[in-house]
Amino acid sequence: MDNFLLAWIVLVPLLSSLILGTMYLYSIKVTKIPNIVFSMFALTAPFISFVLGVSFFFRLLENSDVIIYRAYKWLSVDGYDIDMGFMADQLSIFMVLFITFVGGLIHIYASGYMKDDDGYGKFFFYFNLFLASMLLLVLANSPIIMFIGWEGVGVCSYLLISYYYQDSENVKAGNKAFIANRVGDLGFIIAMITMFYYAGSNGFDYINLELGMANVPVEVLSFIGLALLIGAIGKSAQIPLFVWLPDAMAGPTPVSALIHAATMVTAGVYMVARFHFLYDMIPNVGLFIAYIGAFSALFAAIIATKQTDIKKILAYSTMSQLGYMFIAVGLGGYSAGIFHVFTHAFFKALLFMGAGAVIVALHHEQNIFKMGGMRRKTPLVYFTMLIATLAIAGIPPFAGFFSKDEILLTAFGSGEYFIWIIGVITAVLTAYYMFRLLFVVFHGSNYKENRELHSLSKNMTMPLVILAIGSILAGFIGVPLLLGGQNYIGIWLEILNSKALHVEHSIELYLMGLNILAAVIGLLIAYKKFFNYDMSKVPEYTGLIWNKFYIDEIYDRIFVDKLKKLSIFISYKLDINFIDKIVMGISNGFIRSGNVVARLQSANTRMYAFSMLMGISVISTYLIIVMR
Amino acid sequence: MVDIIFLGLAIFAIGGGFGMILFSQPMHSAISLIVTLISLGGIFALLSAPFLFMVQIILYAGAIITLLLFIIMFLNIRDDELPDEPNKNITIIIGAILLIPFNILILKAFNTFPEKSMNILGKDFGSIHSFGMELFNKWLVPFELISMLLLASLVGAVVYARKDKNRDG
Amino acid sequence: MQERIKIEMADLLLSYIALAMILFSIGFLGIISRKNIFIVYMSIELMLNAVNLIFVALGRYNESMEPQVMAMIIIAIAAAEAAVFLSLIVVLYRNKKSLNSDIFNVLKQKDTANG
Repeated sequence: MDNFLLAWIVLVPLLSSLILGTMYLYSIKVTKIPNIVFSMFALTAPFISFVLGVSFFFRLLENSDVIIYRAYKWLSVDGYDIDMGFMADQLSIFMVLFITFVGGLIHIYASGYMKDDDGYGKFFFYFNLFLASMLLLVLANSPIIMFIGWEGVGVCSYLLISYYYQDSENVKAGNKAFIANRVGDLGFIIAMITMFYYAGSNGFDYINLELGMANVPVEVLSFIGLALLIGAIGKSAQIPLFVWLPDAMAGPTPVSALIHAATMVTAGVYMVARFHFLYDMIPNVGLFIAYIGAFSALFAAIIATKQTDIKKILAYSTMSQLGYMFIAVGLGGYSAGIFHVFTHAFFKALLFMGAGAVIVALHHEQNIFKMGGMRRKTPLVYFTMLIATLAIAGIPPFAGFFSKDEILLTAFGSGEYFIWIIGVITAVLTAYYMFRLLFVVFHGSNYKENRELHSLSKNMTMPLVILAIGSILAGFIGVPLLLGGQNYIGIWLEILNSKALHVEHSIELYLMGLNILAAVIGLLIAYKKFFNYDMSKVPEYTGLIWNKFYIDEIYDRIFVDKLKKLSIFISYKLDINFIDKIVMGISNGFIRSGNVVARLQSANTRMYAFSMLMGISVISTYLIIVMR
Repeated sequence: MVDIIFLGLAIFAIGGGFGMILFSQPMHSAISLIVTLISLGGIFALLSAPFLFMVQIILYAGAIITLLLFIIMFLNIRDDELPDEPNKNITIIIGAILLIPFNILILKAFNTFPEKSMNILGKDFGSIHSFGMELFNKWLVPFELISMLLLASLVGAVVYARKDKNRDG
Repeated sequence: MQERIKIEMADLLLSYIALAMILFSIGFLGIISRKNIFIVYMSIELMLNAVNLIFVALGRYNESMEPQVMAMIIIAIAAAEAAVFLSLIVVLYRNKKSLNSDIFNVLKQKDTANG
C-alpha cells in the first residue's frame, strides 16, 4: 500500500463535497436531482475514508513508524519549503477512525433527518466539507496545514449553524460561533508565528518543530503554549470562549451531533495532544489547561442542571465533558484524554441523535417539560438514550465509565486533588442532569398525550442502534489493568504519555468505587426529583444558573457594547463627517478640474498650433541653455 | 555671381512667403506663393538638382498652385465672405518672437557641421538619368506606395464630391 | 573682402538651412495667425517646401541622390494632399458658406448639465 492514500482520506470527502455542491447548484438552477443521488455520494465518502483509515491502522499495527506523505510543495519562500504534507501516527489515525465512523453514522442519520428539507444537497455539501476539513486538521503534518483544516472546520460550522438562515436568530448564532472561534484563531496564528520565529529554522512540520523546540527558552515556550491554548479554548468551547456552543444548537440536530461528537470541539483537545512535545516541557501551562478544563466542566454542569431545552442541556454536557478531556491532556494524560474523546464521540452522537429523533417525533418541540412519556411512544429511542445516559454518567460497564475513571485517576495520580474533587463533583452533577433529562422526557405522564407522532425513518434509528452498541463496547478498549483488562488505548498511544502514574492499586480501586458512587448519587437525586414528575405544568426557571451566570450579558456589557459604540462612532461620525468628505471632496475636485481642463479643448486648431508653438519655444530655450 | 543669384532668389522666396501670409485676398496670397515656389526651384538648381528644379516648376507652380487658383476662382469668393482677422498682425509678431529660440536651436545644430564647398557639381549629379537610377533601384517600393497614395486621394476627392451632390439632392 | 563673403554665402550649408528655417517659420506663422483656410493650406505647402529645401541642401552637402528622391516623394505627397484638401475646402464652403477655419469646432467640449 502506498502513502498517497493518506491524502485520499481527506480528498474523498472533499471531492464528494465539491461534486455535491455542483450538483446542488445544478439541482436548483436547472432540474431537480433526487435526494438519493445526493445520499449516494454523501454517504459513500465517509465510508471510503473509514476504510482507508482502517488500512492505515493495520499498517501501523505492524510497524509503528510514522507514515508521512508529502503531496507537493505548497509554499517555497527563499529556500524554505512548506509541503502539503500528511502524517499518520497512532494519534491521528485513531482520530481518523472514530471521526469517519461516527461521522459516517451521523451522515446516515442526517439523510433521514433532513429528507424533507429543500437544501438536502447543500446540507451534505457542507457536511462532507466539514468532515474533509476535520480530517485535514487531524492528518496534517505541520501546524500550517492543520490551520487550513482548522479554518475549514470554522467556516463549515458557521455555515451549518446558520443553516436555517431564514431566521435571523440562527444567523446570529452562526456569527457568534464564527467570531468566538476567530478569537481562538488569533491565538493559534500568534502561536504559529512565534513557533516559526523560534523553532522553525529546520522546517515547519511537527517532527522538525519538536527538534527545534529543544533550544527555545521556557518563557517563549510558555507563551506559545498559552497562545495555542487560546485557539484550543475557542474551538473546544471552554471558559471563557464557550459562549458560542449553546447557541450553536440553532443548527439542525445532525449538525449538533457532528460538531459535538466527531468534529470541531475535539479539535482543541487533539491540538493539545498533538503538541504534547511542547506541553511536556511546560507543565505549568499544562496545569493551567487542567484548571480551565476543571472549571469549565463544573461550570457547564451547573448550568446544565437548570436548562429546559433538550439540546442546550446536551450542549452544556459536551462542554462539561470537554472540560474532562482538558483536565486529562493538561495533566499529561494524553491517552486518557483521547480515550474520553473517543468514548464521548459515541455516546454524545447517540444522545444528540436520540434527542433529534424525539424532537422530530414531537414536531420540533425542544422543551423537555413539554415532552414526557416518550418511553412508550418510541421505545427504541428510549433504550438507546438510556445506554448513552448510563455511559455519560459513568456507570460501568458503559463506555464513559472507563475513560472518566482514567481521567480522574490521572488527576488524582498527578497530585492535583483540587481538580480531582471538582471532577468528582462534576460527575455527580453529570449523572444528575442527564438522568433528569431522561426521566422527564421518557418517563412521567405525557404532556400532550393525544398528539400524533411524526414517524421515524430507518435511516434515523439504525445509527442509533449501532452507536448504542458502540457506547457499550467502546470502553472495553481501555479497561484498566486493575480489572484484569488490557488498556489497549494506553498502549496504542503510549508515545504520547511521557510520565507514568504511580497510584496504589487499592487507592485506584477506592477511586473507582467513588466514581461509581458519584454517578449513582446523581442518578438517585434525579430519580427522586424527576421520576414520575408532574408534567401538567412547565416549570419557570429564574435565577443565576438558569441565566447561565449572566455570562452572555457580561460579555455584552464588556465587549459587545463597547465595540458597538465604537462602530457607531466610526460609521456615523467618522465615516460620514471625515472619510466621506475627503473621498467625495477629492472626486468632486477631479470632476470640477476636469470640467475646467476640458474647456481648453476649444476645437480651435489655431489655438492648438499656438500652444504647440509655445511648447516648442520653451523646450528650445531650455535646450539652448543646456547645450551651450 | 552664384551668391548674387542665391541672394536674389532667397529675397524673392522670403518676400513671397511674407506676402502670402499678409495679403488678405487668397488670390494675392496664391500668386505670392508661386513666387516663393519658383524661387525655391531656382535654389534647387543652385544645389545641383536640375531635375527637382524642373519638377518644382512644372508640378508645384504649374499644377498644384494652378489647381489652387482654379478653386479660388471657381468658388468666386466675395470680399465680405472673407473671415475677419483682426488679430492677424499681433499674432504674427508674437509667433515670430516665440519661434526665434527654435530657429536658433536648429541653426546652432547645423553650425556644428564642418564647412564644405557647395558649388555646382558636374553634369551627372542630379540629372534625370542618375535620379531615375536612384529612384527605381533603391526607392521602388516607396514609389509604388506613392502611387497608391495618389490613387487613394483621388478616390477621396471623388467621394467628397459625390457626398456633396447627395446632400444637395 | 566683399568677394569672399559673397562666395561663402552661397557656399555655406548654413545659409540654405537659414533660408529653409525662415520659410518654415513663415509657414508656421501663417497657420497660427490666419483664419482663411486657403492661407492655412498654402502655409502648409510652404512648410513642406522648406523641408524639401533642407533635404536637397543636405543631399548636395553629402553628395547623395537619396534626399532628392525624398524631396520628390514629398512633392508627390503634396500633390495628393492638394487634391484632398482642395476638394474638402470646396465641400465645406458649399455647406457653410465660409472660409473661416474657426467654424470647424464640432469637437469642442460642450458644457454639460452637471458640470
